[in-house]
Amino acid sequence: MATRSGLYDPSYEHDSCGFGLIAQIDDRASARVVEMAFSALERLAHRGAVGADGLSGDGCGLLLHRPVAWLRALALESHIDLAERFAAGLVFLAPKPAERLRAIGELEGRLRDEGLEVAGWRDVPVDTSVCGAEASASRPHVAQIFVNAPADLDEGAFERALFRARRLATNALADDDYFYAVTLSASTIGYKAMVLPGALKVFYPDLARADLATSAVVFHLRFSTNTTPQWRLAQPFRHLAHNGEINTIRANRTWMQARSGKLISPLIDFSELGALVTMDGSDSQSLDNALELLLIGGIALPTAMRILVPPAWSAREDIDSDLAAFYEYYALHTEPWDGPAGLVMCDGRYAACALDRNGLRPARWALADDNHLIVASEAGIWDYPDSAIVAKGRLGPGEMIAVDLVEHQLLRNADVDALNRDLAPFKQWLRDGVTYLESHLIDPSLAAEPFPNSTLARFQKLFGLSREERDTVLTTLAELGVEATGSMGDDTPVAAMSGEARPLYDYFRQAFAQVTNPPIDPLRETAVMSLVTQIGAEGNIFELSPENAKQVMLTSPVMSQRKLRQLLALPQFQNAQLFVDLYYRENEGLEAALKRMCSEACAAVRAGARLVFLSDRYPPQKPDKLPVHALLATAAIHQALVSARLRCDCNLIVETGTARDPHHFACLIGYGATAVYPYLAYQTLFALGNDGRIRAADGQPRELGRSYRRGIRKGLLKILSKMGISTVAGYRGAQLFEIVGLDRAIVDLCFAGTPSRIGGTRLVDLESEQRARVRAAYDANESLAPGGLLKFVHGGEYHAYNPDVVGALQRAVVTGDPDHYRYYADLVDGRAPASLRDLVELRGDVTPIPLEDVEPIESILKRFDSAGMSLGALSPEAHETLAQAMNRLGARSNSGEGGEDPARYRTDKTSKIKQVASARFGVTPEYLVNAEVLQIKIAQGAKPGEGGQLPGHKVNDMIARLRYARPGIGLISPPPHHDIYSIEDLAQLIFDLKEVNPEALVSVKLVAHAGVGTIAAGVAKAYADLITISGHDGGTGASPLTSIHYAGVPWELGLAEAHETLRRNGLRDRVRLQTDGGLKTGLDVIKAAILGAESFGFGTAPMIAMGCKYLRICHLNTCATGVATQLDVLRKKHFIGTAEKVIRYFRFVADDVRTRLARLGVARLEDLVGRTDLLEVRTDVAGKRRRIDLSPMLNAAGLADAGAQVCSGARNVPRDPGTLAARIVEDTRFAVAHKRGGEFRYAVRNTDRSLGARLSGEIARKHGDLGMSDAPIMLRLKGSAGQSLGAWNAGGLNIVLEGEANDGVGKGMAGGRIALYPSKDAGFVARDAVIIGNTCLYGATGGELYAAGRAGERFAVRNSGALAVVEGTGDHCCEYMTGGTVVVLGPTGLNFGAGMTGGFAYVLDTERNFVDRYNHELIDILRISLEGMENHMQHLRGLIATHIAETGSVWGEEILDQYRDFLSKFWLVKPKAAGLDTLIDELKRAA
Amino acid sequence: MKEKPPYFIEFPRAPPREVPVAVRVIGWGEIYGSFDAGEGEQQATRCIDCGNPYCEWKCPVHNYIPNWLKLVQQGRIVEAATLMHETNPLPEICGRVCPQDRLCEGDCTLNDGFGAVTIGAIEKDVIDKAFKQGWRPDLSNVVPTGARVAIVGAGPAGLSAADRLVRAGIAATVFDRYEEIGGLLTFGIPPFKLDKAVVRMRRRVLEEMGVEFRLGIEIGRDIAFDALLDDYDAVFVGTGAYREVAADMPGDTLRGVEPALPFLIANVRGLLDASRDVRQLDLAGQRVIVLGGGDTAMDCNRTAIRLGAASVTCIYRRDEANMPGSRREVKNSRDEGVRFLFNRQPLEIVGDDRVKGLRVAATQLVVDGTGRASPKIIPGSEQVIDADVVIVAFGFRPSPPAWCVDAGISLDTTGRVRVGGEGRLPFQTTNPRVFAGGDNVRGADLVVRAVHDGREAAVSIVKLLAADSAGVMQFHAVSETTA
Repeated sequence: MATRSGLYDPSYEHDSCGFGLIAQIDDRASARVVEMAFSALERLAHRGAVGADGLSGDGCGLLLHRPVAWLRALALESHIDLAERFAAGLVFLAPKPAERLRAIGELEGRLRDEGLEVAGWRDVPVDTSVCGAEASASRPHVAQIFVNAPADLDEGAFERALFRARRLATNALADDDYFYAVTLSASTIGYKAMVLPGALKVFYPDLARADLATSAVVFHLRFSTNTTPQWRLAQPFRHLAHNGEINTIRANRTWMQARSGKLISPLIDFSELGALVTMDGSDSQSLDNALELLLIGGIALPTAMRILVPPAWSAREDIDSDLAAFYEYYALHTEPWDGPAGLVMCDGRYAACALDRNGLRPARWALADDNHLIVASEAGIWDYPDSAIVAKGRLGPGEMIAVDLVEHQLLRNADVDALNRDLAPFKQWLRDGVTYLESHLIDPSLAAEPFPNSTLARFQKLFGLSREERDTVLTTLAELGVEATGSMGDDTPVAAMSGEARPLYDYFRQAFAQVTNPPIDPLRETAVMSLVTQIGAEGNIFELSPENAKQVMLTSPVMSQRKLRQLLALPQFQNAQLFVDLYYRENEGLEAALKRMCSEACAAVRAGARLVFLSDRYPPQKPDKLPVHALLATAAIHQALVSARLRCDCNLIVETGTARDPHHFACLIGYGATAVYPYLAYQTLFALGNDGRIRAADGQPRELGRSYRRGIRKGLLKILSKMGISTVAGYRGAQLFEIVGLDRAIVDLCFAGTPSRIGGTRLVDLESEQRARVRAAYDANESLAPGGLLKFVHGGEYHAYNPDVVGALQRAVVTGDPDHYRYYADLVDGRAPASLRDLVELRGDVTPIPLEDVEPIESILKRFDSAGMSLGALSPEAHETLAQAMNRLGARSNSGEGGEDPARYRTDKTSKIKQVASARFGVTPEYLVNAEVLQIKIAQGAKPGEGGQLPGHKVNDMIARLRYARPGIGLISPPPHHDIYSIEDLAQLIFDLKEVNPEALVSVKLVAHAGVGTIAAGVAKAYADLITISGHDGGTGASPLTSIHYAGVPWELGLAEAHETLRRNGLRDRVRLQTDGGLKTGLDVIKAAILGAESFGFGTAPMIAMGCKYLRICHLNTCATGVATQLDVLRKKHFIGTAEKVIRYFRFVADDVRTRLARLGVARLEDLVGRTDLLEVRTDVAGKRRRIDLSPMLNAAGLADAGAQVCSGARNVPRDPGTLAARIVEDTRFAVAHKRGGEFRYAVRNTDRSLGARLSGEIARKHGDLGMSDAPIMLRLKGSAGQSLGAWNAGGLNIVLEGEANDGVGKGMAGGRIALYPSKDAGFVARDAVIIGNTCLYGATGGELYAAGRAGERFAVRNSGALAVVEGTGDHCCEYMTGGTVVVLGPTGLNFGAGMTGGFAYVLDTERNFVDRYNHELIDILRISLEGMENHMQHLRGLIATHIAETGSVWGEEILDQYRDFLSKFWLVKPKAAGLDTLIDELKRAA
Repeated sequence: MKEKPPYFIEFPRAPPREVPVAVRVIGWGEIYGSFDAGEGEQQATRCIDCGNPYCEWKCPVHNYIPNWLKLVQQGRIVEAATLMHETNPLPEICGRVCPQDRLCEGDCTLNDGFGAVTIGAIEKDVIDKAFKQGWRPDLSNVVPTGARVAIVGAGPAGLSAADRLVRAGIAATVFDRYEEIGGLLTFGIPPFKLDKAVVRMRRRVLEEMGVEFRLGIEIGRDIAFDALLDDYDAVFVGTGAYREVAADMPGDTLRGVEPALPFLIANVRGLLDASRDVRQLDLAGQRVIVLGGGDTAMDCNRTAIRLGAASVTCIYRRDEANMPGSRREVKNSRDEGVRFLFNRQPLEIVGDDRVKGLRVAATQLVVDGTGRASPKIIPGSEQVIDADVVIVAFGFRPSPPAWCVDAGISLDTTGRVRVGGEGRLPFQTTNPRVFAGGDNVRGADLVVRAVHDGREAAVSIVKLLAADSAGVMQFHAVSETTA
């Protein structure tokens, strides 16, 4: 197991995978079911991962439903007598006999205690030849136990007894690293191992026996970010297997712990069983625990699963109110376990599959004519021909499908809903029980009892509210109802490194999702989001009772004064509340005060208090007391209440002056606050409004509170969604932060469990800073502090790019004078410690070498990249200058996410690194083949977890052309890549990119945060060639302020962690590591190399070399230096950048590096990587900075073993050679070379991935995106195509597929045509069946797609030019679309056209419910009238006719037959901003 | 897509109108007008509110320039005036006399090709308007501490210190040997740059704030310095730099050779009160040479013009680009008819008993490392320029009063008062009760730096007196970082 001396922590592991389920609905057991499962596993192999040894898979397994005959045969052969009712279990045991015997004895004893009889044990035969070295090293001994039930015990009681025995034995054997009961049940048995999927049957010869027959099997194969072998974490678990990630896991675990006293089942007593769900390890395991708990407690599986993983119901209008009541009732007592999750599960009665509310994992199902239901991550893993399939489809977001093996019924989603809805009169109970606090149209809260000016000023000083915060943050929130936007980055020190007293909240860095789980878009996908907050003691889930519905509901946790007062005055709370005054006398001490408050709270709740009301609103008259920071108090009290299992009996209401911006609220809620009343923000706004300094919409100050709250709510949703969390219930208490720079004692007392790795500021430091604030507060002559955190203010916080540094750098590059560079570098290197790296210095006592012996400057320059900065954010002049400079240096520039003018390809203005970001602007096959490196931007240092944004005024004609967008309309990149919701998706995208451009290296850009190392390991296993770890201080063209300031951590931590984790896993030699984030001088490069980097990215510094003056107005388009603007007048007349200046800068830095290398006695930069022995911790540091302990970081980077420190291979070659694609390229070589076209036929299966991409790359290389359109190659395919069929399809490639395809069809398509249809003898109705998976046409810029069947979720997301006809779609169709035409000849899912600003669509709405299904924000829908819209009528008819011609669509023919009748059921969907005339122009262009 | 130019291009830099040359040279009034209604607001709107406020950074007192420009945009004159006073006790004066083109406006981002924001003009305008509206600094929250401080010298450093002290509840008494406050502000700077009514207004404001002025009293002559030490809790010394740098060349004692400062002072005193017995030079019809390239030289140039000189020639040994003074003043001098001769080293003032001319040699500039380029004489380039009067403006040195040494206030070799350093508060002299700042500490320097010193010295005095009352000496500040 890993040691904790470095930064790596096994708890950061993530996994993701392929999964599925096969069930025979009539419960007829057969060997065929098992066979199909094995074959399916093999066909999903590309979704798993392989460790560094090439053999150790991340684990796979089966969960078999009642294979009774086989088990009896196994027992018989081992001479074990089985009773009528028996259970079998697979148990992992320690390899050492003594430990093994102890475990066996323990388990047997517990079973006997429950009145059960152990029938016997058998050693499970295993063939270890298929185990890799890593898997072997940790392989447990595998045994099988058989347990007989007494004759009078029914199955339920038997399962409960087994459960208790297993739990108690597991608790007793907690110190045994090996003991693990895979399953121990009468109804299911699981087998799992750390081997490749094809080897599972070899490893367990039991599974290869001919007599193994079952009626249902759940299978799973794992892709873990780490390879530290963990046999027990292979899946399926005891009831379920999971693909994805539980984003809310932290909250779920905490709350399960907190409510453990409330879970009282009439059937079983949980109280002695210890923690009810595992508190660490795999999220899926904890969810399995929770599911088991509900099942064992007596709740049926379809209900239990919907309680734990409900669909989005609160913001949906189309959901049945009785069903909504079921969800709402259970939401009062649990919080959702939100994914991304695809779950397959099985218990004694049901086999089922469910998706969470976001539906980000694919689940395709098919029902065969012999009553087998097959569900899996991909279509095409079953061997039934289309003629034997009677129905097929996919699970949509929040849907569930189940087989009742007792009643022999297939339960579709509606059937499951009906089951649950009818359990109790939930609606009536809620109507009677729930109180909603009154809200008034006019919100008087701001005006009630305003503070006099002097009082207000005292509060502002007391809580460190600066003028800057007031005028920038608060004012914008209240004026506009949104957060202020900023640009560039955060160049101030992190709080613990600051010489200033920073707000406590600044120490908390928001967690964000990257790679292993996606962030979501809270604005465009608002239907899944909810801030609804309930107040009142929780009830018992196992008890269906109207009493449980007696709750108070708030629409959001941000309270107004009116609601607070109402709440406190409610009869049920009036005498059941504890007022916690946050002021304490100095002689008590902060720590003692906190502890006192905790015990007071616990005592009061025990005595019946239901509200714990924390307040800093009543300071003393004289400065003789200090306030406890509300965050410290909230967190400490919450933590104490959780441990005392009292937290679910009460709510924490926080009245504080410290909460002002969305991050402050997120911190308070994330550490347990139920609701927050930000009185000082309101009072400040009231004063500003009164004073006429804020202009509210109607000029009246009284509405400011409302708009401020709207802004805070939006900000909160954004913070939640960064972690992919949809509801505040899944965020409350979840501690989704990394603490940078607080002392361990504070963390233990208040924030236990939050990652905090370098120690830092102590309670006494916080106390003395607060003392200074109190002193200022009570001094009437002390004015409000000016600020200086957002922008430089003299005498305020240090800024790394302060005017002095900017001026010095510019003088150096203008003059080319080395002395000026030295002056600049000394200014930077000699600053008071501001970055973590400033706390260490290079050792001075090493023997230097002559400068001539150091590698030449050219080989150092090769390691420099410019960081991704888009054309759009930058002016074309700046963007091209930078590219030229980097090319001339032999280094690489990065295009950023805005595409690149094709005129620059193959010139010295081309960017060698081409970025692939979430919006896929201008990402065409030609763009991709004109690159040396393809960089997938997962996250950006300035705003991890969010997409880029380009304000409309920067989108001029040229930018619009390159981005395939419309001039003047702002562009927002989606927070996630819609083809990466998990690690195996990333592997797929990397595969796609390597297919389209086999010569390019693929790079993945991540942002530093605790756990980034494990993600890097996963990325390495996904076959990336380069990994960039960005620091929190990266730049941005435009971004909300809280994103710039509160997310991500210093790159030093992330880089060291990644370097360490990759080395621990033997993966370091496979990938190159790069870091970027505020690198300025040679010393920065040297230190980064020592911490693990072999490549270096520079963003801001070269911009400054080009004349940027760090104005932070990039988002306004008025950059006076012409660097970050698209205005002609500024670019043409005021841009003074030259390639020469940039070159000078980089040569200065490289030269600086050389000099320092010589001084360190190291000849090559590469040899410096990992040499932490050359660093010394500075001892001359003063103030709170000296509390920081960097030893974990230094230990991490310098792992002393002999393993690789740098990448050794040229590239990280995927395991899948893409054989068919290569063959196709060979077959078509002549046709491409001579532009001849031709027709080629192939059979395909789901393991043939990214088909067409390789060929499109070849075409684009020779003829450009569309150059071969007039002589197309036709590929005729038959079968089930793997993911990404026709990715980045070039003009000149037409693909026709008879069969079906998976996710990502036509992603990034630029031209050509893809047509799909089922085989003619299919047993299902084509238009009711799903033929293509999720996120098809994502980022397409052109081409055509025709599919005779339905598409999955997010069809045509970010489409900017493709034309498509499909016969139905899932949710979020046409999301963020900016161009192209989409015809949907059938039902659509919810949220159609969210964020759609261009192109248009025709939707056939036979059910007449489209009005409820489209997103009303940006689009209009119109009927196609016979008069005046002749164009559209004809156009649509033509499209349908082509659809028929391409696919033979039966449905299409039916529509055309009665075109006039159908026409009245079509909607024309268009962006509000587009007139009908412009659409007609588009029609002409499309024609 | 049609472009809309940014505001700072659509509305170019437009300072208030200057009084035409023909009119201004016949009087002594200020040459810059005020903004008409709306003009100041519009000019303030040009500020792009940079992430790095170079103006604020460059400003010696670090005025919150972008912040008050924003208030001006919104027409919030009173709040702007309040904010200006947070960093600068004398904003209307700095707005007039600061060389903005070398400070805030020179570093304004828009100064690169767009025209800097008219910071100085706005600053002056705001305060003038605020005073006119009756606004005064708000001292209603001040609680008197009972402490008293004496200030020697009513120049910018002393006034600045007085302002900060009374705001902290400390009584301030300002002594000055002249009959009006201001020091050089009143007597050194010609009225066409700073109307004396402005200084009188400031005096009224300070008096209303509680500052006591005792004028016409010279410490060491009328009152002993020791008496101040006895009577007051602390003393601030802001006695300026009045000692001329002598011409130091043959002929420098001839009649017609005039030192700059007495020339300027005499002129102002004469203008302020014609009845006073001061020797105002009569330059009518004279050929005047002014030696020097600083702001004082420009003041002399322009004063000489107004005194009716037949010609005024300004001679400087470096080139125009290397002049130390404000470019604006060079331009004004030139506009008003001054002739500049650059790259000329004065060698000798020629004449018998009075000046007849000046012998000069041409120079060329040599760059020798990191410092300023130094002028080297070109052999054989000598010439004599005819003149009747030579005004020497080579700068000033501190003129520390004689009592300094007796009071334990130590000076450096050039006569500057030593302040601060290890174990002392900023601007604390070697006598812990005595603080100093401005030109007597720096040598001749800008008004705004004197303002800065007075302000910071007052902060130190407040700390010292607070420590007194707390009975501890806790001001030995630990430096936060050692880097």
